[in-house]
Amino acid sequence: MSLRLLIVDDESLARALVREYLASHSDIQIVGESTNGEAAADDIVRLQPDLILLDIHMPKLNGLEVLEITGRTEGVIFTTAYDQYALKAFELHAVDYLLKPFSQARFDEAITRAKKRLDQDHQALSALVQEIKIERILVRDRGKTHIIPLANIDYIEAEDDYIRICWQGKSILKTQSLSALETQLNNAEFIRIHRSYIVKLDAIKGLERINKDSQVVVLQSGVKLPVSRTGLERLKACIV
Amino acid sequence: MHPILSQLRSLIWYVLAWVIAGVALAWVLVVTDSASWGAALLFAVPALTALGFISLSAYYVCRAYPLANRQLQNMIFIFGSASILSAAAWVSLCLFVNTIGLYTEINWVGISMAPQLITSLFCLASLLYLVSLLAHDVLLALENIRDAELKKTAAQLFARDAELQVLRSQINPHFLFNSLNSISALTSIDSSAARAMVIDLSDFFRKSVAISCQTHIKLAQELELCEHYLAIEKNRFGDRLQTIMNIEAESLTAKVPPMFLQPLLENAIKHGISNMSEGGTINIMSKLHDEWIYIVISNPVEFNVSPAVGTATGLRNLRERFENLYGERARVSWQATQENFSVEVIIPFEPANTLL
Repeated sequence: MSLRLLIVDDESLARALVREYLASHSDIQIVGESTNGEAAADDIVRLQPDLILLDIHMPKLNGLEVLEITGRTEGVIFTTAYDQYALKAFELHAVDYLLKPFSQARFDEAITRAKKRLDQDHQALSALVQEIKIERILVRDRGKTHIIPLANIDYIEAEDDYIRICWQGKSILKTQSLSALETQLNNAEFIRIHRSYIVKLDAIKGLERINKDSQVVVLQSGVKLPVSRTGLERLKACIV
Repeated sequence: MHPILSQLRSLIWYVLAWVIAGVALAWVLVVTDSASWGAALLFAVPALTALGFISLSAYYVCRAYPLANRQLQNMIFIFGSASILSAAAWVSLCLFVNTIGLYTEINWVGISMAPQLITSLFCLASLLYLVSLLAHDVLLALENIRDAELKKTAAQLFARDAELQVLRSQINPHFLFNSLNSISALTSIDSSAARAMVIDLSDFFRKSVAISCQTHIKLAQELELCEHYLAIEKNRFGDRLQTIMNIEAESLTAKVPPMFLQPLLENAIKHGISNMSEGGTINIMSKLHDEWIYIVISNPVEFNVSPAVGTATGLRNLRERFENLYGERARVSWQATQENFSVEVIIPFEPANTLL
């Protein structure tokens, strides 16, 4: 049985090099080449490759964002020239990566190791993706990728198994739990004010008392959100 | 040596002050009927001038015994004994000279030394020496403060220089490793292209090392370096990286600090072109206008890439560097829109006379 492999890199020479190295692997079939992060996400969903050679720095989405948005947690070999931040995370989670420029021998070794790991559990990658602090929220909706920079967001609301991201008067649903998102956000900028709400600190205009023991957060946009007692404490701790 | 001895002006003022004090002492001698005006002046003026020079030795006492490690008892003992010894030496000198004077039996030479006068002279000298000790303490303290400030400024300047050295010699590892990866790929696909890229890379590093040691270069040299850099990056990005150079010939001879433009191009690629799947065009413009050199670099940026400008640390460093070099006469400004980013550098035009 041959393994189906996807090459993801925005540089054509880098892709050519991988093709050349793969020539000696008769058991591997190249099913596609993606030249940016968004295309990679599409190709991963569409082609369901067994192995992905994934560059980190790419247009549209970076390598880690590609994993996050596709939910892919197996059969990934990262390639990068230099990225101290990512490398540290890879080491921490024992995720394999290739440092450009790499040799045929090093490449073969990574492929062999990836093959062996294919049937094992894939905690490492999901943990890695989960802990990386994000700079924008990605939502895949009917084959299209929406990118929402954190700077534009007002608040995020939990809705059953989804979260609703609200920004500049628009909103979109994403399949994720509010708690999972909370861990990815910088807690100096985003605050969980309620079981169902995370709000961006600088989107807040003020607090308003509705009755003796409950208050609401009023946003710059005029939207009012409920705030729980612990939420209020968190809010005060951030402002002081 | 005492600092006052090396400054003629202050030395003259200092001696003059003591001469006046001598005249005052002579007046006291005349008033107390110890001597006639002639004899009093002849005695008092040289005597107090001599005391002035003896008082200068307080400088060495104070310096040998710095303020920082003094105890009160020790200080009283040392200052007290120094004053008494100096006063005793001075009075002995006065008595010796006066006695010789009296031997000449000329009526305007020498004064009559009553025991009370000797005691008074001794007390006066001790007191003046003590004042001199305190004055020197203040002088030394002020000198220390000034020294500390000078050292601080020097240290700051040094740190800035060192930082600049590091900034200049810094090879962007991302650029280097990616270039080497491209070469690695080219060796089997197109070996002559691989060789050309190795040569471009060598030329780039050789030139950047050479111009980094200069304090200033011609804009033409900086642009040449940028061309090598862009040639290497065009291998990596292919058609995605386009450039338009709009360089006025008159601006080429302008004197510029080395390695200021190349990092801007690096930013334009890193934050602009490399984030765009279709790539884009970097515009490089330079012109001479009214004795000012205008240099503008602009590049497209991908919509929605956050943060758009990054932390702009590099740009702020560049602004600070130009501020240090030109003061108020340079301007580094940048402008970010959703689709475009541009940096403008304005410096006074000065033709470079470098041979390189």
